Amino acid sequence: MRSPVPVVDCHGHIGTHPDFPAYKICPQEMVRVMDLLNIESLAITSTRACYNDCRRGNKEVEDVLRQYPGRFRGYITVNPNPEGEAMVQLECFSHFHKPPLIKFHPDLHKYPVHGPKYLPIWDYAHQTHAVVLVHTWDSDPTCGPPLFGPIARRFPGARILLGHCGVTWRGYEQSIEIARNCPNTFLDISGSQSHRTILEHCVNQIGDERVLFGSDMPYLEAAMVLGRVLTARISDESKASILRHNFLRLLHEA
Amino acid sequence: MSPSNLEPAFDEAASWNLIDANVHLGHSGVHGELALGKSALLAEMDRFGIRQALVSHFTAEEYDISEGNAALARDMDVRFVPAWSASPEASILKELEQRKPKAVRLWFSPLRHNFSSAPWSAGELYDYLQQRAILMVVSREELDWDALVVILKDFPKLQILLLDVGYRSDRYLLPLLQRFPHLYFDSTSYVAHRQFESFVETHGPERIVFGSRLPLYTPGAALGVLATARISDEARLAIAGSNLRRLLGELPS
Repeated sequence: MRSPVPVVDCHGHIGTHPDFPAYKICPQEMVRVMDLLNIESLAITSTRACYNDCRRGNKEVEDVLRQYPGRFRGYITVNPNPEGEAMVQLECFSHFHKPPLIKFHPDLHKYPVHGPKYLPIWDYAHQTHAVVLVHTWDSDPTCGPPLFGPIARRFPGARILLGHCGVTWRGYEQSIEIARNCPNTFLDISGSQSHRTILEHCVNQIGDERVLFGSDMPYLEAAMVLGRVLTARISDESKASILRHNFLRLLHEA
Repeated sequence: MSPSNLEPAFDEAASWNLIDANVHLGHSGVHGELALGKSALLAEMDRFGIRQALVSHFTAEEYDISEGNAALARDMDVRFVPAWSASPEASILKELEQRKPKAVRLWFSPLRHNFSSAPWSAGELYDYLQQRAILMVVSREELDWDALVVILKDFPKLQILLLDVGYRSDRYLLPLLQRFPHLYFDSTSYVAHRQFESFVETHGPERIVFGSRLPLYTPGAALGVLATARISDEARLAIAGSNLRRLLGELPS
């Protein structure tokens, strides 16, 4: 199995993780897997930044971008704690991409995505038309999809990727509901749960232009998500949009 | 199986003689339209080149074991291998005896059949399975790791197939596989980055069997993992089919 369309992947990482052993996570190994599956480029966020240290994590992303030009794009991962540090990070790594790619992980950073410390960051994203990838989980008090409606309406310039679409079937339903009502929200289909017919359901409900391929590599297996897309009962044109064109359009590279 | 129905992304799967270890059949009160009856389930298996499946019935999981097993018997097909459900009651064991099972699925959790997995509760059932070399099938979601260890220690020849182990499981799963030679697991949720491939490289293919969680999950996901693992053809074929067939005792394919 290999993608017939060169994939532009909206959700990846670099680095290890604490909760289980990591395999083949160095960028060189990742590029080999990307070549195997025909993933042309991967937008990465630092796993170190998601768990522990944004300064060091974003620097690691910078190094990978320099080492593998064209294969990776960089999210600036920000933590609302300590207050003010996120803006420093956004400034420091603003050369990663224009418009900026920003990553929030409210669950690991233990701070709700609609809390006041996130407001200046959302405002920055609105002003710069940033793409903001946010980890989401079904009904979670820090990052449940229902929290994103008021945010998306208040900051319409921000393009919000609902990372993992809330993961569960109910999380997907919540994400679809937000996407239906907020045109600046998008569905990132990365995640460990491979619900049958969910991709068809997403496309039926909101069309194929705001559904994006994300692998979560090298946390999760990219071939799992690719297998879902390639075998979904949707048109080949919709598959190509999901695998490639939709994220390129968000990046202003279509 | 009609080759014309096969998903082009996985046309190679037609030659793998696939048997899926993790399949449910019948009406579900929880999963609504995702649940599939016999003909729809077979059609979905056809799409993905899955020749056979180890199947349990949603009615047995969600409601009543005897009724669920009767429904499974009623909906049986030559391509299904029944995973009959059981609980420790003597009447259930007696029913089980008449079914001549190759595999038995257990549901311990409070919202399922709500019995202890400890030997004081289910020991007679484990003994029955062990004596007859019947495969015990259980989801990791139904049983915590320490409870599993108790069973493995007390019934050392009992063959246990652990489903839905999850991608965060390796710090539990790998030491147990080393220590207990009759423990096996399915690939459905073993989906961390290159985890499946790395497992086969390090531990060989013998202890893992293909599973998809059909009809709740699309087999496209688990097949994607199997198809793109950089492992030998022999290893892929073992995981696709021969490992589970060996556990179930030489089935016709």
